Amino acid sequence: MGVLSNLMRGLVRGADRMSEFTSKRGSRTHNKGRGARPAGLRLSSRKFLTIRAMVPEFVVPSLDGFALKPYVSYQAPRGTEPPLTAQSLFAEVVAPQIRKDLDDGTFSNDNLEKYGFEPTQEGKLFKLYPKNYVR
Amino acid sequence: MRLTTLLSMAVRVVIPKDYRYGTNRPWTMAAKRLNPAGKRRRKVFVEPVAPEDWTVVKGDRVEILAGKDKGKQGKVIQVFRHRNWVILEGLNIHYRFLGRTSDYRGTYIASESPLLLSDIALIDPSDRKPTEVEWRYTEEGERVRVSVRTSRIIPKPLVERKDSIVPEQWKDGPKDTSPSDTLEKTYVPSLKTLEEEVMEKLGIQENRRQRTSFWY
Repeated sequence: MGVLSNLMRGLVRGADRMSEFTSKRGSRTHNKGRGARPAGLRLSSRKFLTIRAMVPEFVVPSLDGFALKPYVSYQAPRGTEPPLTAQSLFAEVVAPQIRKDLDDGTFSNDNLEKYGFEPTQEGKLFKLYPKNYVR
Repeated sequence: MRLTTLLSMAVRVVIPKDYRYGTNRPWTMAAKRLNPAGKRRRKVFVEPVAPEDWTVVKGDRVEILAGKDKGKQGKVIQVFRHRNWVILEGLNIHYRFLGRTSDYRGTYIASESPLLLSDIALIDPSDRKPTEVEWRYTEEGERVRVSVRTSRIIPKPLVERKDSIVPEQWKDGPKDTSPSDTLEKTYVPSLKTLEEEVMEKLGIQENRRQRTSFWY
């Protein structure tokens, strides 16, 4: 137990050792980052070389004629869309194509790529597993 | 003991078994006076009512059957489930001084006293008399409160929002999306991820692939 148990009733003495020591604490000369990744290379001449490709760039389409706004009116009722699941996505996108091919007689187990089947995630830019993009 | 244990004790609220609930919120001084630490008070016995049998809701119109204001009807302001209490607006009042200091006697206000569930009865909307109420199911399968004497359904009271906004009378501001735009279904299901769709739409070509990296 110890000293702290006796002081438990009132206020606890001493600095808070257990909280995370962030860049908000410490003196003003204490320079600590918050986990931003460097967007370039640190050269041997102690300079920093910014690489354009590593600097994040926001790609935003033009918003002309875009009807959605930041807030939703109070008058809008609750929507009745069922939640999107893998099964529902399959049933909406892939199942009609398979059904059509089955009826035509052109369905074959070897040709599943044309319905969107991906045997491996190698070679793809945005892999689904392991997920290599931030959303 | 550790500082972290102490701090987590403060965060995780422990209510003692014979905690006496009052009308004040638990963090106020009055509630702390009602439950002094280290003192064991006589236990308050409360008739157990199952959660699914609870009939009175905040905002209901209710009549008092016993007490000073017997026979009067009022609206329920607050419901205390743990003591089977109900507070009505402006009924069962007593007067007290609020905000007393050493030289000022305080504001003289009327404050309502809680009423037990057994001294309360819901009002039948058809004849405006107190009735016993039961939970029954309609033909559609909805669970409703029904008055036993005349089988009239007692509707749930309208819930007023705390910010007193009435959705039907709301006027859209410049930053509000209209209801028709909100409910418009523009989603076209596809097997592409959002990023792939955006790249395709904006015509961005990306043939470079990430170099495989390893971590240990």
